[in-house]
Amino acid sequence: MNCPLCGYEFDETAMTCASACPMAAVQGCNLVCCPNCGYQMVDERKSGLAQLLRRALKVVGREQRSTGQEQK
Amino acid sequence: MHCHSEAPLLDPDAPVVLVGHPNVGKSALFGALTGRYVEVSNFPGTTVEVSQGKVDGVPPLKGVPVIDTPGVQSLHAHSDDERVTRNILLSRPPRVVVQVADARNLRRSLLLTLQLAELGHPFLLDLNMSDEARARGIVLDTPRLAQVLGADIVETVAIRRLGVDDLRARFDVARPMGYRIHYDGAIENAVARIAEWLSPNLTEARAIALMCLAGDDDLAARYGGEQAETIREVVAETAVRYTQPLSYVITQQRLRCVDCLLAQIIHQSPQAGPTWAERFGRVAVHPIWGWPILAAVLIGLYLFVGQLGAGVLVGWMEGVVFGKWIVPIAVRLVNLIPFPLVVDLFVGEYGLITMALTYGIAIVMPIVLTFFLAFGILEDSGYLPRLAVMMDRPFKAMGLNGKAVLPMVLGLGCDTMATLTTRILETRKDRVMVTLLLALGVPCSAQLGVLLGMIAFLPPSAVVLWGAVVAGTMFVVGWLAARVIPGKRSDFILELPPIRVPQVGNILIKTVARLEWYLKEVLPLFVLGTLILFALNKTGALHTLERWAAPLVQGGLGLPPETTGAFIIGFLRRDYGAAGFFTLARAGQLNATQLVISLVVITLFVPCIANVLVIVKEHGWKTAVGVAAFVFPFAFGVGAALNWVFRMLGVAF
Repeated sequence: MNCPLCGYEFDETAMTCASACPMAAVQGCNLVCCPNCGYQMVDERKSGLAQLLRRALKVVGREQRSTGQEQK
Repeated sequence: MHCHSEAPLLDPDAPVVLVGHPNVGKSALFGALTGRYVEVSNFPGTTVEVSQGKVDGVPPLKGVPVIDTPGVQSLHAHSDDERVTRNILLSRPPRVVVQVADARNLRRSLLLTLQLAELGHPFLLDLNMSDEARARGIVLDTPRLAQVLGADIVETVAIRRLGVDDLRARFDVARPMGYRIHYDGAIENAVARIAEWLSPNLTEARAIALMCLAGDDDLAARYGGEQAETIREVVAETAVRYTQPLSYVITQQRLRCVDCLLAQIIHQSPQAGPTWAERFGRVAVHPIWGWPILAAVLIGLYLFVGQLGAGVLVGWMEGVVFGKWIVPIAVRLVNLIPFPLVVDLFVGEYGLITMALTYGIAIVMPIVLTFFLAFGILEDSGYLPRLAVMMDRPFKAMGLNGKAVLPMVLGLGCDTMATLTTRILETRKDRVMVTLLLALGVPCSAQLGVLLGMIAFLPPSAVVLWGAVVAGTMFVVGWLAARVIPGKRSDFILELPPIRVPQVGNILIKTVARLEWYLKEVLPLFVLGTLILFALNKTGALHTLERWAAPLVQGGLGLPPETTGAFIIGFLRRDYGAAGFFTLARAGQLNATQLVISLVVITLFVPCIANVLVIVKEHGWKTAVGVAAFVFPFAFGVGAALNWVFRMLGVAF
């Protein structure tokens, strides 16, 4: 993925947030930190709602494409 | 003058080393070369992570080690990432150095290429994103470039694995680059003198000499004793011959060579001019025109969060969803429990439903939702880095250097994590100063959203005053801290991605993910804060605290005693305290002037309890106590001073 702040390209699957934060000790930290600048992004893979939405958007996208093809 | 070398004998364990700027597709190429198996580990003695894998393919290249170095701006090591990349290149002869370059931005890439040439290792230049370069009308005379550089060049589109096989096939036949720059006489003389002191057979002698001349003290120190002393003397003698720093002089001479190279190989098609996005992207960081754009963005953010979020959405959530449905139903249900204490715990004045959930979901959630949406647009459009660039300038005036801006901006995500990322700052001065300023005046994204929502209730003059007080406070503290804490500044370098139309799907997914993270993080603290207030209220301690705090809260700040509870929960989290003031304001218990004062104080509070604990972990107890001991009295002091000024001048909003 690309960091939206510094543009650094890194593999988020290899990133685990340095959980010095006490909140992380309690419930786990869902942030991915850019190894270049430290900018925090939420790890969408750990967000159930984000994954649901992603699947829903894919379904909508497929339906739109198939509707478009039918109309053609 | 060019020189050619034969390909060296191959060590079977010698790695392929990928080098390049950030955001050029190195990781994509690494993934294409190695397949799935990747090992990530910290480079010894650092927190920099390096990916290592093995070439996935057919013998004899199958199983050859591949190292993906951190993205770097140059081999003149100013940061941990650059040091690690430099050390990997110098630690053992690589099989081949593959520079992954952005074909759309060759000028910057060739600057690195010429540095890599000086190392003398077998070299391949991978022009990645060549499809995008062609789409922009950039036509590269690649054979001509290969001839001039004396190196093989392969064009790839790494994310689609195009050209990767061709690149892989050249690993074992790559040779050191033939191109060498001739610097001016003084520098060449210094290079020769330094190289003489290094090992005579050292391939990288010239590169090491130039790095030392460019100010890489760490590298010079490695040699120790008489060698290091001699190197420093040569560097010092050479430096006095120029009015500019040697690193600048060397870079300028390289750039002249790069420009000559480019003139020979780039043909831009006449139809391709700058797109609207490119034009906007340039204007957005213009020293003059960038400011109105920044102001417009911030005003838009304020209107979106303040009017839509804090006005419309909060009104609906609090008034309708919670006011007409959730709370009345909860009250009816909970009143069935025969224990008044338990009833109070859930639906009393400091009840978990009537306070914690109402604050967290009815008041704060709509505001942070709109804030996260707006922030997602800033990220996805590519404007966010430009905002950081524009903010760099006033922060520099504060005495902070560019790189320290990043954690300040990062505080918009989470001050706690931003405190951790002060590790990227090179000097202790910057790390402690930024930690203090983060704790003092930079709200995290959620808190900023709540503050923006509260500001919506204020007239524009009050908004300006709040912004001026907070910014002025940070400026003064930063300026003083810069003079008190010794140390030197570090440089700010930021990749600017292209401006693009934000993708709705991306923004929605990011927003939903952030919202889920925020609720999981915040609601437990809201519940804890409510429980604390409930306990204090039931024991009568809250009333006692209000009496004790009266001289400060009522006398000093001019606020009603009910705000004491908001300050108490503000110690846990600023946004929870802000939500308390928000509720009081909506109930008419705070006038606009009092709201300004309370906003200023709560903005200057330490962000949250987690932030304090991270300061302890990162900088030690003394620093954490020092920060807290400064921030809390300072915040109240500024509020009291503001109240006094308002009274003296008869200001009322």
